[in-house]
Amino acid sequence: MTQQPSPARPPRLAAWLVDLFASREQAESILGDLSEEFSDLASRSGIANARRWYRLQSAKTIAHLAGAAFHATPPSLAVALFLGFLLSWFSGALPAQLIIALLRTQRPYSSRHYEAYVWLLAYGIPIVSITQSLLIGCVVALLARGREMVAAIALSLLRAAPLAWLLFIFFGRTPLARPVIPFLGPFLFSRALDLIGIVVGGVIVRKARSASASRLAAV
Amino acid sequence: MSAREYLGEFEHMVLLAVLRLGDQAYGVTVRREIEARTRREVSIGAIYATLDRLEAKTLVQSRVGDPTPERGGRSKRFFRVTAPGVSAVKHTHRALRSLTEGLALLGVSS
Repeated sequence: MTQQPSPARPPRLAAWLVDLFASREQAESILGDLSEEFSDLASRSGIANARRWYRLQSAKTIAHLAGAAFHATPPSLAVALFLGFLLSWFSGALPAQLIIALLRTQRPYSSRHYEAYVWLLAYGIPIVSITQSLLIGCVVALLARGREMVAAIALSLLRAAPLAWLLFIFFGRTPLARPVIPFLGPFLFSRALDLIGIVVGGVIVRKARSASASRLAAV
Repeated sequence: MSAREYLGEFEHMVLLAVLRLGDQAYGVTVRREIEARTRREVSIGAIYATLDRLEAKTLVQSRVGDPTPERGGRSKRFFRVTAPGVSAVKHTHRALRSLTEGLALLGVSS
């Protein structure tokens, strides 16, 4: 018995990313077109070439879809970004306040209790902070219907911009910056996690909406 | 006709490709037609971003075809140029012809 060769499949991650950025109607036709060209290219010039082409086309397609979303500038996108920025700006100190308030209600009575206290002190603020970013990402994506990923990434970049600017000013002009350098790594890491949290919030809402639309279409 | 209704360069190309392809105009064929005739590399995303913009301006209309196995079970989205789309192409051509009239471009005068 001869075994049939399995048909070549396009790179999953690239397809997943295109699906994230495209609207439901766009995703169906764009992914279909990419698959059709991928199959054609794979049979003519090999799977490796076809995969390379697919990845490149996906990246270009995402750039065009994101650019088109900004070019159209629907009010919902602008409102979502504005509200998201305000929300993240004014709730910046909330995780620290929350954890400190929680710790004030507790006293380390036993050694086990003490360990939990220290753990909360060390990891509580970053955990609450990431959760907060995730929720902000979800709120922004919910407001920017159909452009969830563009809104979440734009907010993430908006939040990163002042931070990058402050770092540039700080290190460019202040000679006293050197003692702060050891603390900079963890600080930047926690900020990066916050930015990723916003994008992940966008992914969650986009995928939830996509799944709900598919369910409705199937009914 | 207001200046806003004139077509951009790529919009113009996409509309002409859709017109040329007739009832076989969808993402893949439009992209190949433009690449073959202009030798310009175009991405699927650029085609769809433009077609969506043209559809919003009611210059093209789309309909969803049947899903096929080579497309991973996904359907094609066929496009056709509407009457305002044909009119926009004509207006743009007229404007370009008028602008190039009497000019000697690469040894060719129109």
